[in-house]
Amino acid sequence: MMGSRSFDKLRAGQARPADQRSERPIADLSEAATSPAIAVSGLTKRFGDFTAVDKIDFEVPRGQVFGFLGPNGSGKTTTIRMLTGTLRSSSGNALVLGEDVIRRPERVQPRIGYMSQKFSLFEDMTVDENLRFYAGVYDLSPQQFTAQRDYVLKMADLVGREDELTRNLSVGWRQRLALGAATIHEPELLFLDEPTSGVDPVARRQFWDLLYDLASRGVTLFVTTHYMDEAAHCNRLAFIYRGRIIASGSPAELRTEHMDQRIFDVSTRDADPALLWLEQSPEIAEAYLSGASLHAVVPSGSRLSAVELGEQLAVAGFAGATVAEVEPTIEDVFVNLVSRQR
Amino acid sequence: MSIKRIRLLIWKEFIQLRRDPMLIRLLLVMPVVQLIMFGYVVAVDVHNLTTAVVDLDRSTTSQKLEAAFTGSGYFTVTQHPASEDDLRPLLDRGTVKVALVIPEGTHDRLTRGETAPIGIIVDGSDSQISAIGSGYASQIVAQFNSARRDELGVTVAAPGVDARIRVMFNPTLDPVNTMIPGLMAAIMMISLMVIMSQAVVKERESGTLEQMFVTPIKATEYLIGKLTPYAALATAQLLLVAAGGIFWFRVPFNGDFWVVLVGLLLFMFTCLGLGLLISLVSRTRHQAQQAVMFLMIPTMVLSGFIFPIQSMPAVIQPLTNLIPLTFALEVLRGAFVKGSSFEALAVPLLALAGFGVVIFSAAVIATRRRIAE
Repeated sequence: MMGSRSFDKLRAGQARPADQRSERPIADLSEAATSPAIAVSGLTKRFGDFTAVDKIDFEVPRGQVFGFLGPNGSGKTTTIRMLTGTLRSSSGNALVLGEDVIRRPERVQPRIGYMSQKFSLFEDMTVDENLRFYAGVYDLSPQQFTAQRDYVLKMADLVGREDELTRNLSVGWRQRLALGAATIHEPELLFLDEPTSGVDPVARRQFWDLLYDLASRGVTLFVTTHYMDEAAHCNRLAFIYRGRIIASGSPAELRTEHMDQRIFDVSTRDADPALLWLEQSPEIAEAYLSGASLHAVVPSGSRLSAVELGEQLAVAGFAGATVAEVEPTIEDVFVNLVSRQR
Repeated sequence: MSIKRIRLLIWKEFIQLRRDPMLIRLLLVMPVVQLIMFGYVVAVDVHNLTTAVVDLDRSTTSQKLEAAFTGSGYFTVTQHPASEDDLRPLLDRGTVKVALVIPEGTHDRLTRGETAPIGIIVDGSDSQISAIGSGYASQIVAQFNSARRDELGVTVAAPGVDARIRVMFNPTLDPVNTMIPGLMAAIMMISLMVIMSQAVVKERESGTLEQMFVTPIKATEYLIGKLTPYAALATAQLLLVAAGGIFWFRVPFNGDFWVVLVGLLLFMFTCLGLGLLISLVSRTRHQAQQAVMFLMIPTMVLSGFIFPIQSMPAVIQPLTNLIPLTFALEVLRGAFVKGSSFEALAVPLLALAGFGVVIFSAAVIATRRRIAE
């Protein structure tokens, strides 16, 4: 599992950048007992007849990496916009860092950070100008700005490129600079709305390392993503589907509590016809592509074994197919939850 | 509201403006090009009007009269048809725009001290030419009359035309004088609408708008930060056009500076508001451009900037009241050329204030709503 590896690395003190500043805690976690980073109850947003977010409840303890998962259009961004004080809720309550963000967004906004998939940098401004702008917005002192600027430039690997227009940076650099700009005021809570979409796998890994670095310094992270492998990086997860939270818990809890079904991994050269065959098989509840192979869901009551399924596939003409029972991934859990909703 | 954050937003806006070479070119070159274009095209049109002279009198008087027309520079006599009947085809084909008919016996009547009627026919298909051409023609006739009287030492009361002309008649380059003040308003409108309409939609497309509203920046701070640089640029443009008009085209500034200023400021609010509204309603920059074009055409046609409102069909004329530029032109032309006071221009000034308040508030409300929804 990618996530635990990164955590181990972090605990071993290998996280970068290894300057003094990056080790300093940002948020004081002793406060954690007093109020959670986010506490939401009955939060609802309606656009005309359409209910984008439907009476959701959840809590994010301080210092955690909280993953908010769901397909496009399920209400993730709407929720973030209400929690960041840019969108009014139709009803319900949302406490962010102990403050009512719906009624008093100005009390919350200086203490939170936000980064979206667009990276939201001014493309016709230089690296330095972008940082200068956001530092000014959060009213940093010149000394604070100098320190933060140095840190961000090192973190984003942009030392010596301060005067380049951000338009000319490639995606990985832009993404890290956007993270630096969004955290220049050292927020206690950082919202990330699909921060890794459209970014290559290597840059994604590096980016998650930076997020762990922030988390290790006490920053609470609220991350939405539709990359299921990233979900495993989170301490806690909540699945949102059609505006409702359909499951929440730690990745391990979700895997055990919401999966009473077994998963078979099927590898074959004829993936398309095999998928069709699996979908039509009466013994398989559901089949779908997962990475390079197929995943077949066996209903909880079934005694079908991997060997039997392999034989059935061979009889059906998929001679080279290999079948193995696997631990359900977060993706399996999610597919299962969604299919139950339908 | 934080002055510091507003200053920061203005600083950011100027940096972005500086990095957009097309925009700078557009802002500085456009007014110059338009000034030259409108200034000279209008001026040339008024000079050298093609003219036909039907001289049925064939006397020294008729020759002097024709010479007066030619000498003025406004008319170029290209045809000498033998009779009035031959005029019609010339006018129909547009070969001549103006015709001067000097009836037989003109010289004799004048020597007898009688009023001698002469005919001036002007091509009415072009309202500008007909108005200007007939104006100049009457002026020339009046000058001719007074010159003749001086020559003869006649002191008797002259034909009534003289007095009437003086009231109607204004300085020599009349159309340029009304065109340049109008151009100030038109250029301000075009450039502000073009830039403002892009301003917000661009930031929405890039996601920076969304980002900024998660920070402590308030909607009002954002608006002030956004509008101030463009208002400053529009002012610079206005000064450029005004300087060009006054020093190059010698448009006399007879007016009250404060009337002009108030009129322009009120109109500026309307333009900023309109641009902002378009920018807020549009989803993409392309859409915003289309919307500006859509608004610009009726504005140019119906405001009286190019075509005089008086020459529009009666059904259309009320529509001109829906166009803010109509009132801006009225104020600027009135104040610049005639030196009209606040009292005289109260109606168009109030109309401009009304447009400004309605459109600008709509834009502010739309900003808040866009951000909140």
